[in-house]
Amino acid sequence: MCELFELNGFCVDFKTNLGRDERNSKHKVSKQVLMFYENCKISDFTMPGTNLIVPVVLWGKHAPTHCISSIYLSRDQKTLVTGCYDGQICIWQVEPESLKMTPRCLLVGHTAPVTCLSRASIIQDNNFIVSSSEAGEMCTWDLVDGKCRESVKLSQIHTNIQAYHMCNSEDLRLFCNGYYAEILIMDPFSLEILFSLSSKMNPDWISAVHVLRPSSRKDDVVLAISITGTVKVWSLLGHENKQSEPIYENESKQIRCLNALSLNCCAYNQRTVLIVCAKYCQIYDAGDFSVLCSIQAPSGERWMSGDFLAPDRILVWSTEGKGYLYKLPANSVPDHKGFHGPTVEHDSPVLFGILAHTDNKLLSCPPAMRFVITSSGGKQRRLLLRGDSAGVVSVWNVDDAATPLLNQVPSHAPIVLTSLELAWAEMNPSPVGILDQLNHPDESEIKLTASIYLLSLNRLVVGREDGSIVILNATHTVQLQLLHGRHQQLEDWPPHQLLLGHNGRVNCLLYPHHVHQRYDKSHLVSGGIDFAVCLWDLFSGVLLHRFCVHAGEITQLIVPPHNCSPRIQKCICSVASDHSVTLLSLAERKCVTLASRHLFPVVTIKWRPADDFMVVGCSDGTVYVWQMETGHLDRVLHGMIAEEVLAACDETLTDDLGGSLSAGSGDLQGLANPAIHFFRGLRHRNLTAMRAATARGLAALQVAGPAPGAGPLAEPARARRAQLTVQGFRSNPTGMADCSPRRIMLQGPRKYYHLIRSMEFYDCLGGVVVMNERCGSVLKS
Amino acid sequence: MCDNEKEEAANLKEEFEWVLREEVHAILHQLHSVLVECAHRFPVPLYGNEGQKQDKFILTSTPEQLKCIVTLTGDSITHADISFKVLRQMHSICRTSINQDGPWKLQQIQDAANHLQQAIGYIDNVDKHYVFRSSEEVLHIIQCLIGSLQRARTALVLPKKRAIDELMKSRNMKALSPNLPEDLAISFYIQSHKLIFVAYQLSSVHGTMRIDSCQADCAVPWLSDVLFMLTAALHMCQQLKDKLCVFSQYKDFTVGSRSASMLLN
Repeated sequence: MCELFELNGFCVDFKTNLGRDERNSKHKVSKQVLMFYENCKISDFTMPGTNLIVPVVLWGKHAPTHCISSIYLSRDQKTLVTGCYDGQICIWQVEPESLKMTPRCLLVGHTAPVTCLSRASIIQDNNFIVSSSEAGEMCTWDLVDGKCRESVKLSQIHTNIQAYHMCNSEDLRLFCNGYYAEILIMDPFSLEILFSLSSKMNPDWISAVHVLRPSSRKDDVVLAISITGTVKVWSLLGHENKQSEPIYENESKQIRCLNALSLNCCAYNQRTVLIVCAKYCQIYDAGDFSVLCSIQAPSGERWMSGDFLAPDRILVWSTEGKGYLYKLPANSVPDHKGFHGPTVEHDSPVLFGILAHTDNKLLSCPPAMRFVITSSGGKQRRLLLRGDSAGVVSVWNVDDAATPLLNQVPSHAPIVLTSLELAWAEMNPSPVGILDQLNHPDESEIKLTASIYLLSLNRLVVGREDGSIVILNATHTVQLQLLHGRHQQLEDWPPHQLLLGHNGRVNCLLYPHHVHQRYDKSHLVSGGIDFAVCLWDLFSGVLLHRFCVHAGEITQLIVPPHNCSPRIQKCICSVASDHSVTLLSLAERKCVTLASRHLFPVVTIKWRPADDFMVVGCSDGTVYVWQMETGHLDRVLHGMIAEEVLAACDETLTDDLGGSLSAGSGDLQGLANPAIHFFRGLRHRNLTAMRAATARGLAALQVAGPAPGAGPLAEPARARRAQLTVQGFRSNPTGMADCSPRRIMLQGPRKYYHLIRSMEFYDCLGGVVVMNERCGSVLKS
Repeated sequence: MCDNEKEEAANLKEEFEWVLREEVHAILHQLHSVLVECAHRFPVPLYGNEGQKQDKFILTSTPEQLKCIVTLTGDSITHADISFKVLRQMHSICRTSINQDGPWKLQQIQDAANHLQQAIGYIDNVDKHYVFRSSEEVLHIIQCLIGSLQRARTALVLPKKRAIDELMKSRNMKALSPNLPEDLAISFYIQSHKLIFVAYQLSSVHGTMRIDSCQADCAVPWLSDVLFMLTAALHMCQQLKDKLCVFSQYKDFTVGSRSASMLLN
């Protein structure tokens, strides 16, 4: 169990990892990740077995886009975490003193915007966080090695999570609210719902929650407001559980406050409450929930959230990404004798500071912001974090700005300003890409837009933005990027083949022979922005045919299952941005079926070969059933029936393994590894699911054994035996093909890797590499 | 680039600016009226709608397996007379009722209404005189809108599946008077434009639990209107999104490098 990775010259000793792995032995993951730093020798490690896979990511010169949707900083100021709208999570290593941030790891797993990030434990050096997405997925991540320790998909979608240490529990509990009428209390490690809080009075969605322990009491109090403005209070004794009767609020009061965004009780006196709505924020007396004062949002801006800095001072931030510091009037400060009195004319909230960026860069959406109190080295700091749509992370020191100055409203600049792009620019040499050698330094760079790896031919095919397709020897390419040698001085090396035919970006590539042997070995198919699907002879480089049937750019190419009718067997399936799907016959060089009229983008294609049906699922949940041979639209389904028909296509998989599961390309929702399904079944005590998974696994083994390459699962199995695999580009936003949680090291490997016994190129954003098992002889320097 | 292409690109750019300046606001305005109209069909207080409308429905199944007369007030069934045949005892009929004190809440209606309200909120947040400067700004709003509208639709079209013991423990079941025996359960839910009533009967056959169910449904007129308008709004969003994506292939038009066409990959 050795593991070592490299981050900006920082080396984690594998022995420490070993210790941790033993502690968490039940969470061992079969894949070990090895990334070597230049001065580490391979002999330092013992390689367990031959099933070792070393993923290496080639990032290329450009940072992945990162439109931040949520942000989190650990209490010890050592780790910053940002979640983005595309579902990835970036982990940044932070120097606690200077707050200098270095991106370290990218966690891939969510399929929708990451809405909440929360710590998982009260223990300072516990390195786990919980993330939750708009699709209802929740994950617990190990920040040290980036593994996903637990994940669930709930039907309830959270909009906010507060981690809180309840009186009778050992560790933190997550108090979640969102698009549902309850407050869910969850365990951060098992991600189980422990119990929920219900409402008797006007039950509705809860828009904000604050959990606290009143100074005079031993129990915990949950303060919440519903979207229609009912304030509710629950008292928790600590012995609540799932079996107990529904827990209703102890008190509730209707106030005039619709769609609140946040609710915070003043930590210093527990007497005043700050409720923030988009148009105004208000201070309430916690005793009777009467309004004490109200602050309008600046024109053109909306409030997002806020908190107390002192009994008489608050910080609120707006959708423009600015923080505003206000001093409260006397009637809103409990220690003051005028508390709870009527609003005095000359005594209104006073703005005494603004936290803003100095440049006013255009944002495409409101940034994610968070107020945190950290402590490192016995020193407490109050920081305001911001992460915006351009991936820029900034931090303000709120303490610097917390004292009002007379007659002045100073604007404070952030103390830290960084982004993935800046981190990329700082790297020297910059992260390598897979085709760097083809770009002359003085020419403008041509972006790479698609790639596939032809295992049997050891060729790497890369599509580019200018419409050209480059074919080269994969080993040579890898050698060039990762190994030091004479070949790096050679110009125009490695030798490559260029296919010219597309006018504009190449969106997707397909080598059908890889999916099934029935296809010609020499056929390569590409789809581009020019609405065309091109069929190439891989060996001669000749453009055999150009299919122009779509009315939008081609977004995906798929292989139909092997048990279709003989005519369809010769076809490939292409999907375009005009929501049309076609079956293009490579043998006849013509379009067999054009399935258009889909009103919404196509998200799933499934097959019923026995019935000659192609089942197309659209983003609005509608399902279109097409006859493949005749091109007739058999029926259009909505709602429950649509779901059932799609699910039924999966069921037929058990006896029809050759079908839709073609290596993640045929079925966008892609069925996961049978083993994963099996364990999922085990966890949910679902015997049918376990049975199905077992059947699938056994069938896969049989198929993979005697006839490699015939079945869908044989593909990865074959790849596993290969010495080198290269996964395709992963573009932003992430696709739906494979969403198993995993991580990608952010910093691509540098040159001068001594010996790499086994590696696997890993897919990633922008760049890519992958290899496997015992290619030592090939890759020795 | 030859002159023709340059001219075409220039024209397209002009068109793109027009879309951002005029078309987006026009479509958002149109969307707003569709969604407000949709909100007004809901029987609950929503976006200036006074709310609390009352409807009466009769649900029966042939052949006279079950009968149920329902009063739907807002998002709750405030009154119902329920009777259904019990399978294990011949000619025995189980009767129960829902009354004002313990209404049966249809959470699906509240969820859909809240999602719809959120969608309207996204449009309200855009100032009518705001000048959009990039397609990404608009795409972000459209994406939020599509998300909310889709969730609103899904809430009505795909009822959440629940375990039978969860149903039996639910607050709705406990409010029935008289309470049902332990091996019987009922449920009301919405599926597309229909209100559905199901009676479940549990029995143990050779040690394994068996659940028999019989159901009846009836069409709820306002639901079909709501679903129609949600779908129409979704389609309008999608068309605007597609329109903007066409321009995104010209890289000088967009601010970032993200291309919407890669969504599928």
